[in-house]
Amino acid sequence: MPVANGNRPIGVSVVIPVKDGERYLKELLDALAREAPQEILVIDSGSRDRSREIARAAGVELLQIEPAEFAHGRTRNLGAERTTGELICFLTQDATPCPGWLEAYREAFALPERVGAAYGPHLPRADTSPMIARELGEFFASFQAPGAPAEGPVIQRQGDPSFLSNVNACYSRACWEKIRFREVAYAEDQTFGADMLAAGWSKVYAPRAAVLHAHDYGAVEFMKRYFDEYRALRETSGHVEPFGVRASTRHVVREVAADRRWMAEQGVGGAARARWTARALAHHGGRRVFSALGSRSERLPPALHSRLSLEGRAGNRGARSASGSSAPEQPGMNGSPRAHEPKPAPDPPSVPELPAAGRVDRLLQRDDYEVVARVWREGPAPLLPPLPGASERERLRLALVIPPFKRGSGGHNTLFQIFSRLEARGHACSVWLADYHNEARELWPAVLRHDINEFFRAFGGPVYRGFDAWQGADVAIATGWQTVHATLTLDQCHARAYLVNDHEPEFYATSTEHLLARDTYLHGLHCIAASPWLRDLLAERYRASADAFQLGVDHDIYRPLPVARRRDTVVYYARHSTARRAVPVGLMALGELYRRRPDTRIVLFGGEELLYSTFPYEHFKVLAPAQLARLYCEATVGLCLSLTNFSLMPKEMLACGLPCVELAGVSAESIFGADGPLELAPLEPRAIADALKRLLDDPAHWGERSRAGIEFVASHTWEHATDEVEAGLRHALRERAAGAAA
Amino acid sequence: MSAADTSNGQQSQSELELLRARVAALEAELVEVQARTNAAIGQWQERAYWLDRLHLDLNRLMERPGANELRLALRAVRIVFWRIRAIKRRLLGS
Repeated sequence: MPVANGNRPIGVSVVIPVKDGERYLKELLDALAREAPQEILVIDSGSRDRSREIARAAGVELLQIEPAEFAHGRTRNLGAERTTGELICFLTQDATPCPGWLEAYREAFALPERVGAAYGPHLPRADTSPMIARELGEFFASFQAPGAPAEGPVIQRQGDPSFLSNVNACYSRACWEKIRFREVAYAEDQTFGADMLAAGWSKVYAPRAAVLHAHDYGAVEFMKRYFDEYRALRETSGHVEPFGVRASTRHVVREVAADRRWMAEQGVGGAARARWTARALAHHGGRRVFSALGSRSERLPPALHSRLSLEGRAGNRGARSASGSSAPEQPGMNGSPRAHEPKPAPDPPSVPELPAAGRVDRLLQRDDYEVVARVWREGPAPLLPPLPGASERERLRLALVIPPFKRGSGGHNTLFQIFSRLEARGHACSVWLADYHNEARELWPAVLRHDINEFFRAFGGPVYRGFDAWQGADVAIATGWQTVHATLTLDQCHARAYLVNDHEPEFYATSTEHLLARDTYLHGLHCIAASPWLRDLLAERYRASADAFQLGVDHDIYRPLPVARRRDTVVYYARHSTARRAVPVGLMALGELYRRRPDTRIVLFGGEELLYSTFPYEHFKVLAPAQLARLYCEATVGLCLSLTNFSLMPKEMLACGLPCVELAGVSAESIFGADGPLELAPLEPRAIADALKRLLDDPAHWGERSRAGIEFVASHTWEHATDEVEAGLRHALRERAAGAAA
Repeated sequence: MSAADTSNGQQSQSELELLRARVAALEAELVEVQARTNAAIGQWQERAYWLDRLHLDLNRLMERPGANELRLALRAVRIVFWRIRAIKRRLLGS
């Protein structure tokens, strides 16, 4: 027996990190008792099973740490510090030493070399799948020197493979004290192996220091495990697993054939061999795919990470291991590819590591106003010569040019309420997305079309991104400042028109966007404005030719419903992300109202974010139209503030019999009149609170406003709005003809 | 103005009317063709929704090495599956 100083055998400590490891722990400790090391230390990091009881019953030393304290390198360093043996063995909780294990390590360290570490093979358990069993055998056989005895130790020095696995490894204390395990998220053993070889130590592969060890996963779990391993390998070493369809197919075929040969050698019967062949196909194919996915995980949506990961870890680099959270990672699953996926360990970096860099494949979002420059440089594309009687033709070719949109976009809803009806009237309608900033780059045309149908209203025609397929139109219709310059470059048109939802320069402080929005009114497009107020503004300020249309109301949805009307409820369209809704002023007004009338129920809707307030409120975020109608029918007073063109909200509130407070002196007053159905108030919190309180406290006044509102909006329909817009488009054609004649 | 001039003027007017009618007919035809084209493209976009949603360009995908082989292999598997099902039905009489 090798001895330390000729009198006593070398002292060996065994350290076993454990978490929920009851399945094999007793078997492991029994086997260790047979091997008789100097001391055994079990480090438990928050087991919820019987692991601690098993350790105590075996009489070994038990060290308990918090799950958050666990890290592969740190915890093993702790184990080495807490033990005293000259040799320190590390086992995982599912690795059972075979007879002769300890003696084989002692022999390895007795070799006439500066041996710093040794490791032994992992043998398959009885229920290990043929694929894993074969790979284990082939992998560890690869460390045997050609022609050397199969059981003999193999010395590895600098330049040899740095593989080392803490599933089953033994270190000399002197070497560990010099090198120590790094605080890396993964592969602390592999980096130790590389570090020690670089420092001039040798390591030994000891074939007789074997353990029974294999993970028993189902096919899906195996794939997820490969995802985890290759994601971690990418994180620690930058390795990206190559993937190609042909190469992967060849690899899978080769591996399955090898499995079948191995099974034949082992005498596996025909039916079992067929069953395992199918498993092998899934195993090797899945491994290729999932390992490729794992090493490219940064390109996958974060939500997908936890689904593809056995650890359930989302994509943050090193997050799980660094935190040592209580996620179901086992010490036995730690670190390197180890026996199941043998890979040469990456050499440790000899220079300081850079922090993780953000990956930028392509940055497509930019402020691209090239089309504006083109219009300014070359002028608009020439229009086709006017055709006599074109404006009177029953059917027209209409092309609607729109900016990118989201669910709930009020302007786009107006556009498609009307455009869908124009299509239903027989006009040949198409939609074209002008996307200066590439905001919708992820949305391909069929998706855009689907979203239009889902978010706004049924549209049967085609939707295009950009203008590569431009086919010409009787009227090309710009619909927002972002679309006007693109529309001006479109040729093969008889006329162009501009459907103006709001005075958009007011959306911006002094800026490029403000200037460009203002510029859109200066190119002679015939404007069709979404209110008489807006029409007049365009005509007076920009000398633009303009018609107007009135926003419609969907009376099938917005109507008085059989819902008990409350007498204490104010509903407020608090869309803070839309600056022109003056939400801070509205909140001040509601604060004032609450101070005067503390029993008022206040309900906010229209935005996802919670807003600062001096009063309690209920928050509905964004509601569907039918839900909004329900809310309007239940409430007492509505509040909506519009600093530019009025919102559709007040009309929909009125249609439900809900009186509404709006701002005086702006667009709403021009639509509804100074003493019409709306309760108007100046932009001043106390005045708005007065108006709200009047409607809450005076039932007669409330009843009058409610009746007037229903009557007022009865004629405001989308069919009527479509009539007005259609007339505006024909007007654009007539203007074009008149302009050409002049 | 002579009678000949009047006659020529009436003839020109008549030709102009005919031409205008022809242009109007052609324009109406153009709108009809455009409307049909729009409807057809709209229907194709409806069918292509999931491909676009998944950013799948099948033409490009099938140009990749091994893609056609995979398609043929799947077809072969499908044929085998159908045959097995047919035989099973025949044997079981269902």
